[in-house]
Amino acid sequence: MIVAEQKPLSEIKEIIAPYKKILILGCGTCVKTCFAGGEEEVAVLASALRLAYKKDGKEIEIEELTIERQCENEFIRESAPAVSRNQGVLSLACGAGVQALARRFAKTPVLPGVNTTFIGVLEKQGIFTEECSGCGNCRLDIFGGICPVTRCAKKLLNGPCGGSQNGKCEINPETDCAWQLIIDRLKALGQMDNLRKYIPPKNWCTSLSGGPRKLVREDHII
Amino acid sequence: MDKKFIPKITVFHCINAFTEKTHSIFVGRDDFEVKFIKLPCSSMVKDIFLLRAFEAGADGVVVLVCPEGQCRYVEGNIRAKKRVAWVKNLLDDIGIDGGRLSLSNIAAGDTAAATQIIDNALKNLAELGPNPAA
Repeated sequence: MIVAEQKPLSEIKEIIAPYKKILILGCGTCVKTCFAGGEEEVAVLASALRLAYKKDGKEIEIEELTIERQCENEFIRESAPAVSRNQGVLSLACGAGVQALARRFAKTPVLPGVNTTFIGVLEKQGIFTEECSGCGNCRLDIFGGICPVTRCAKKLLNGPCGGSQNGKCEINPETDCAWQLIIDRLKALGQMDNLRKYIPPKNWCTSLSGGPRKLVREDHII
Repeated sequence: MDKKFIPKITVFHCINAFTEKTHSIFVGRDDFEVKFIKLPCSSMVKDIFLLRAFEAGADGVVVLVCPEGQCRYVEGNIRAKKRVAWVKNLLDDIGIDGGRLSLSNIAAGDTAAATQIIDNALKNLAELGPNPAA
């Protein structure tokens, strides 16, 4: 899932300052799961902004709505009436959602209310960790399901750097050494021979470093 | 002549920690106005409820939960504690002072403790003054 974090209230206030009537639009998928932009977060933010504006002696009208996903036209369509009633939209979706809205509603300012951070998982209740950098060339089959591109601070592909201590990364001692995890996993799988496989220097063209990517599925295009 | 400040307090309480019968200890007091919101467990205290209480005009909000280790739903009071802490920070960010919101553990039927908690909240509100966002 995409993990995001809601922007600080002070920053959101600055972003919406030019508008008197805004729609806070939530998204019911990734950002709901990481407590950044679902229906509840929309309600809390709207309430907080109303209180903040009242305290400052200013006026604002806030409409609240959450749609299933802000990255698909089928769902974005449902928000059209609400968007047309407001001067601007504060989107609590990830960057993809904000841009999909902006593309659809070209005449209405669409403003970001969260910072999109990473592709990750819920490690345990309340803790989300980054797991995938979207490098475009997945070799988790060799690494026992643990990604050194994302989780190794040095992005090493052919074994540990030797600097880790007690299984912790020498760059950031709060992080587990990815290669320690890989070796432990390969041992458990009986696949230690994977360590003998040479991984050549990564071709980053398939990642964002090669520019924004596109996936075209001709079999789905009519 | 300045009108005397009569604080409005909303009390969210777990029905196991603070029963409806205990509401009566506050009958007849003219130093504050109180609204009670009963909850089956304090874990039902959601951030939005606390904020809406302030939007509705509360000067202060008190959340009463069971003593730690005695929640009949095991961790409800701990969840409430975490949420109240989060909302206190949010109230600071909003600028109306997180000190207006408090959480206290209270054993069922402890009317003395309930009175003390409300008196502490009133003392606090006397310093903070009315809700500037009401």
